Amino acid sequence: MSTSKGFGNSHNRAALLFLSPAFLLIAAFVAYPVVYAGWLSLFSWDGASAPIFQGAGNFVRLAGDPIFWRALGRNLLVALSAMVFQVFLALCIAYCLVRIVPAFSRIFLFFYLVPVMVSEICIGLLWRFMYNPYFGLVNAAFGALGLDGLKRGWLGESGTAFSAVVVVMSFTYLGLYVLLFVAAVRSVPESVYEAAEIDGAGHFTKFFSITIPMVGDAVRANSLLAIIGSLKTFSLVFVLTNGGPNHASEVVSTYLYKMGFGSFEMGYAATIGFTQMLLTAIGAWLVFRYLKRAGVGGRT
Amino acid sequence: MGLKRLLIAGAAVVLTALPAAAGELSFWHAYAGQQDKVDFINFALDEFAKVHPDIKLDVVAAEQSAYKTKLNTAMASGNPPDVFYTLPGGFLNAFVNGGQMYALDADLAKDGWGDSFLESALAQTSKDGHAYAVPVDVDSVVFWYDKALFAEKGWTVPSSYDELLALAETIKGEGVVPFALGNKDAWPATFWFQYLEMRLKGSGVVSSFVNKDAKATLGDEATKALEHVAALSSKGYFPIGFNGMGDQEANMLFLNGQAAMMLNGTWQIGASADAPEGFKLGYFAFPTVKDGAGDQSDVLAGVAATFGISQKAENKADAVTLLKFLTSRQVMTKYVELRKTMVTVKDATTEAAAGPVLFDISSKLMADAGHLDPFYDTAMPPAATNIYQHLLHIAPGRA
Repeated sequence: MSTSKGFGNSHNRAALLFLSPAFLLIAAFVAYPVVYAGWLSLFSWDGASAPIFQGAGNFVRLAGDPIFWRALGRNLLVALSAMVFQVFLALCIAYCLVRIVPAFSRIFLFFYLVPVMVSEICIGLLWRFMYNPYFGLVNAAFGALGLDGLKRGWLGESGTAFSAVVVVMSFTYLGLYVLLFVAAVRSVPESVYEAAEIDGAGHFTKFFSITIPMVGDAVRANSLLAIIGSLKTFSLVFVLTNGGPNHASEVVSTYLYKMGFGSFEMGYAATIGFTQMLLTAIGAWLVFRYLKRAGVGGRT
Repeated sequence: MGLKRLLIAGAAVVLTALPAAAGELSFWHAYAGQQDKVDFINFALDEFAKVHPDIKLDVVAAEQSAYKTKLNTAMASGNPPDVFYTLPGGFLNAFVNGGQMYALDADLAKDGWGDSFLESALAQTSKDGHAYAVPVDVDSVVFWYDKALFAEKGWTVPSSYDELLALAETIKGEGVVPFALGNKDAWPATFWFQYLEMRLKGSGVVSSFVNKDAKATLGDEATKALEHVAALSSKGYFPIGFNGMGDQEANMLFLNGQAAMMLNGTWQIGASADAPEGFKLGYFAFPTVKDGAGDQSDVLAGVAATFGISQKAENKADAVTLLKFLTSRQVMTKYVELRKTMVTVKDATTEAAAGPVLFDISSKLMADAGHLDPFYDTAMPPAATNIYQHLLHIAPGRA
């Protein structure tokens, strides 16, 4: 044991050598930008003239910026909806596919995966057409059902724009979680279910008392994935509404983009980005801790 | 060993990416990604190579929005290209304030180069009396309509704002959207506001802001203009959900005859090229507003693109030669022919090159205009533009 811990060990040196390319890439493309963004957040800079030192000025401004806080609130709503309509729904679907209709699981899985394989920009553009108040499928469907009163400019009205975006997000990412959960549910030993069946357990009991505890690790990993993804979500919002109308569907990333590349307030944009990263890290850590304590998943 | 080879290869890549060597002129432009743009720049650069074989160019092209970021990054890092395409107004002024632009005054005074441009256009690339770039093309905003549809329905072109409102009511009554508007990106509605402001108060408000006139103010007329826009929206003269529709989607309504009119820039001519059979594009000026204090013949028209020279450029004589060539009447007429856009070089927008509609706008509307008022959103600094555009998202309210 003691020899393998020393740096002089030839195996370790080889291992370090193999790790170094990844390490260098992460240092250059992740660590450096993060540190630089933190540094830049102390300045006001329009990208052309010399940066002006602001100290904590940008952070003070951010703390009092209602658009940012509302955008962050929307990110949290996205995360909440992702937990329900992506993670939980995906687990239910995965259970059905594996335990109830195993014969069709492949074909269904394929359909759920189609949106995952298509780029988000394409999906966004597609849904823009579906939501179009004049030639869109959504309004046409309401018309066909005789519900003309429900027709509206989905993406153009402050009241519906954000919900419309969240629907698209759920549709887009659901398939990924179904795929991950199908693998997890399949790995649950058949004997456990057989034992439960002998005791007279139905699907409801099997789902909540066996499947969820047994795939706890997957639940935790997927929840983290969904929450982190929700906190930094950008492309679908950008394509669908660009945060509009009048910030009604703004999330932190689109606000950051507008500040950085619309207003060229690079320093303030860096402040938003740095704060977003910190909040995402804290959020992810809290979720991890909570799920661990709640006993979802046996070992850690 | 492999690593070493990789390092050498990497170094080679870095070296080739470095700015042009001495004697070469680096030239960046945004004429990419769109066939008419590419055709134009290919023509211009080929001709330039024929006339000036001694000047070697190191050309970098990028598509408009990516280009803005790219140029900003280069300027910020202190490695600007020698000659480059830039937007006028706030975008250019940021570079001017940073002391990065070469003032062209002395060169423009020579050989009548400066006189070859429309005065109002050159004013849009100047700051504190110094010209820091040469203007290329100019876009103006007018009302567009389908002549065939108007003839079929018996609608007539309005000349006053009251007539316009009456016409809109008639059109709405026939189940057609009076005005196509796709305001997702917030600039299309600014035309409505600015034109009303120009008619009610007069042109020049934006210039006084850009020149940091402390007394500059939008005034009561701006409130009134916004109220007018809000009224149009509440009367249902704009499409449903227009704040979520893109300009292209609005265009589809317009070209398919689902919307009757559209207040938009001269780029509408290009956008209408794919119109269905029978569509006949016509235009009329923004109507006069009764009791408006502004000159009722004013036109909203802004310089869309410019070329400038970096203060750091080593060979300024060659750089000026390139600019002079690009803004020569021959090249600019070709620009009009390929892109169907008016240019700022006098007499270069010929009827043969521009086509009837554009030539009419250029020779009548623009020539008779009391003032040409530049677009607020490109003239102002980017941060102000952001706020201004959001104002135009709120004003029309719920659609």
